[in-house]
Amino acid sequence: LISGDLNLDSTLPSKLPPPPVFRSSAAPPPQGSPASRRARDDTMVGLSEGEKHFIRGGIAQDLRADGRRRLQFRALTVETGIIPQANGSARVRMGATEVIASVKAELGKPTILHPDKGKVSIYVDCSPTAAPMFEGRGSEELSAELSVGLQRCLLGGKSGAGAAIDLSSLIVVEGKACWDLYIDGLVVSSDGNLLDALAAAIKVALSDTGIPKVNVSLNNETDGEPEVDISDEEFLQFDTSGVPVIITLTKVGKHYIVDATSEEESQMSSAVSVSVNSHGQICGLTKRGGAGLDPSVIFDMISVAKNVSQRFYTLLESAFAAAEAVADE
Amino acid sequence: MSAAAAAADTYSPAAEAGSKRRERREELRRHLAEDADWPRADGRSLHDCRPAFMQTGPTTAASGSAYAEFGKTKVIVSVFGPRESKKAMLYSDTGRLNCSVSYTTFATGIRGQGLENKEYSGMLHKALEGAVMLHTFPKTTVDVFALVLESGGSDLPIIISCASLALADAGIMMYDLVTSVSVSCLGKNVIIDPTSDEEAWQDGGLMVSYMPARKEITQLTLTGEWTDGKITNAVELCMDACSKLCEILRERLKDPASLASE
Amino acid sequence: MRDLHLPLNQTQRVRLEAALHELQTLAPAAASAAAVTVADNIPVNHEDNILKGHGTTDQDGEVVATLCGVVERVNKLVYVRTLRARYKPEVGDIIVGRVIEIAPKRWRLEINFSQDAVLMLSSMNLPDGIQRRRTAVDELNMRSIFEENDVVCAEVRGFQHDGSLHLQARSQKYGKLQRGQLLTVPAYLVKRRKLHFHHLEQYDVDLILGCNGFIWVGEHVVVREIADLKEDEQKLSAEAETFTPIETRRHICRLANAARLLSALGFTLTVELIIQTAEASVSSNVEINDMLGAEFYVQTAEGEAKRRGDLLGKKR
Repeated sequence: LISGDLNLDSTLPSKLPPPPVFRSSAAPPPQGSPASRRARDDTMVGLSEGEKHFIRGGIAQDLRADGRRRLQFRALTVETGIIPQANGSARVRMGATEVIASVKAELGKPTILHPDKGKVSIYVDCSPTAAPMFEGRGSEELSAELSVGLQRCLLGGKSGAGAAIDLSSLIVVEGKACWDLYIDGLVVSSDGNLLDALAAAIKVALSDTGIPKVNVSLNNETDGEPEVDISDEEFLQFDTSGVPVIITLTKVGKHYIVDATSEEESQMSSAVSVSVNSHGQICGLTKRGGAGLDPSVIFDMISVAKNVSQRFYTLLESAFAAAEAVADE
Repeated sequence: MSAAAAAADTYSPAAEAGSKRRERREELRRHLAEDADWPRADGRSLHDCRPAFMQTGPTTAASGSAYAEFGKTKVIVSVFGPRESKKAMLYSDTGRLNCSVSYTTFATGIRGQGLENKEYSGMLHKALEGAVMLHTFPKTTVDVFALVLESGGSDLPIIISCASLALADAGIMMYDLVTSVSVSCLGKNVIIDPTSDEEAWQDGGLMVSYMPARKEITQLTLTGEWTDGKITNAVELCMDACSKLCEILRERLKDPASLASE
Repeated sequence: MRDLHLPLNQTQRVRLEAALHELQTLAPAAASAAAVTVADNIPVNHEDNILKGHGTTDQDGEVVATLCGVVERVNKLVYVRTLRARYKPEVGDIIVGRVIEIAPKRWRLEINFSQDAVLMLSSMNLPDGIQRRRTAVDELNMRSIFEENDVVCAEVRGFQHDGSLHLQARSQKYGKLQRGQLLTVPAYLVKRRKLHFHHLEQYDVDLILGCNGFIWVGEHVVVREIADLKEDEQKLSAEAETFTPIETRRHICRLANAARLLSALGFTLTVELIIQTAEASVSSNVEINDMLGAEFYVQTAEGEAKRRGDLLGKKR
């Protein structure tokens, strides 16, 4: 036996290496674009001029580097219930992008301004395990941007209208007790399109969320403070029909693409993230990337995003159904 | 007008009680139910902006600065630089724009922390970066510091407009002046340039930053549920207001008095 | 199979497991026996005066592995060859790297090694192709040869006294790679072979399997005179409609996805296997993007199991 012929790679399934991450090697920060008004590259992807040209060409010719068309998504996989100690959780993978969302419900007190409403807080963390540049304070800016983007899309107007999560459904006793919903997103590995993935993960995590049933007994002895008995057997399913998805359209050259990888994102002139609910209503919008856009382009992007969102809904639903099927086995 | 004086004049000593605020909200709701072109608390009609007072050069140390007062909202923006980027920054053939928005401790009704508002800092950066010709000052940084003296609603759009005036005052190369206007959606009505009370009870909000001469939108954010038609109308309303606001900015820059005061 | 994140349905999972089991039984039994993890005992015959090599240590008279990998024995030397570690260069290896820094008289390249590789200006063919002393002017014009972030193909020249790795690119075939995509796969999936440059004429595609696991799939470049190259540069910057022809781009994407797929399955990447996989996808009418889908994964694993099975059958 010649040891050189040993091909361990095909021996044990358990020894199979994890799928390699297809990204350009760790490379130095990008150079600013030469004299063009292209946005400062947000991600630290270093690409040579030749590769950039190849990516732009692929987008113009409607055949991207991994063979996708402009408005095609990467393979989407979903897992639910991955964090047992949370009330609901989900993992969403889109290509090499992987995010986790967890929903935790805790009893709290409503604010004086909104005595008839619960509270929701959304926070995103970028783990340094995703990329070394997220270490220390490196991720702060990105985390904040993602958190704000999600809050804008999910929490609706200040009055609560158009919110994905009906805050008044979180109230237990008006003015006394309510559920505080803590939605946490975690970026596990990053290859572009983080906002869309996070929003999808949150949507799935919320459908996975069970809020314990509570029995309230108003007690005079305790100074009008309600006694709340949390059931650990009965759970109320969360209504997630109104939770939107976010579709980010990244504009490269004259065209827009969905589900951009970080390499493609580095070539963007601007990006518009539109959140669309299942009724096709727009319930949040953020423009990212600095270059100005003609108003007509923005309106066009909004209508494209609306069309694409229907496809994304179907995609997400089938992925969710597959995840449920696996969980049931 | 000096910054200190402006602050002293408008400092509101007591935080309003929650109940009082709720009363006002009820009043607002009543107006909405009537669904007429009711006069707003400050006597404006739905599509009237507050009178804009803008001035260049309130601070002397900065390369450029501007002061803006829209009703109760008072903002001061200083621009420093371009100066050489710190060593730690990696080589770049375009300039950097460093934006920071902070609130004074007395800017809001409840005494705040006076901390930097990260969200607004990021949004200010995004609104301006498309307008500033960053490649004209490689290896250097321009700092834009905004300070909200009093928060009276539509803070961010006013900061953006004021910052672009300050950048122009500092002689930074720009494609166009950026002006920004926001609208609030209350029931069926869309009201422009909302005050903080109106913002607090809005069903949805939309902010547009616009370069009027180039007819390009540099930043657009939207919250709440909107229909297509409503978005189009609201964006057009904002763009129109932005163009008018830009005229005010232009006059301010042409104003010989402000030139002389530099 | 935890690490292959595929939305497999029931039948696909069964088929994939069967294929992998098949592969496992086909592999020489010694292969799995030679696999060790950290702190595993490596059985040796102590009377042979064995030499303990890389990845082994002595513990109470026993040879113990300090790395995960395969035990290799060359005469008396026993060492552990790691699978997941970074690339370990050997002189003469053809590698693909990315320029990360331009230093005086040299470029620094990221090549998936524990340190950056150095490509000296003096180990480079000059743009005018004449052998001569490098002048100060040449030094100033270094950015016109390679810029930061450029993808470069070169050969490992050797280690310097200070342990730094030096490269050379003294041939027309080495140099800047443009118009294509760079994939990174674990270095152990690329075996050292006679040929690493492959011009796939039927596709008009260049495929370079760098020993460091960087794989370049790009439009075929004719080795040209320098004057042409300069002209090309100008064209590129103008970005007049000089994009890769759509037909070639299809081939590039197909081959790239074949390489992605094979490395995700953990198969050694050879040019034959990549072409075979790409052709299989064409003949079974799989869209380029669907090559990364579950069905084609299973199909490829089954195909490979069958191929190896046949190969073994013939040998016997």
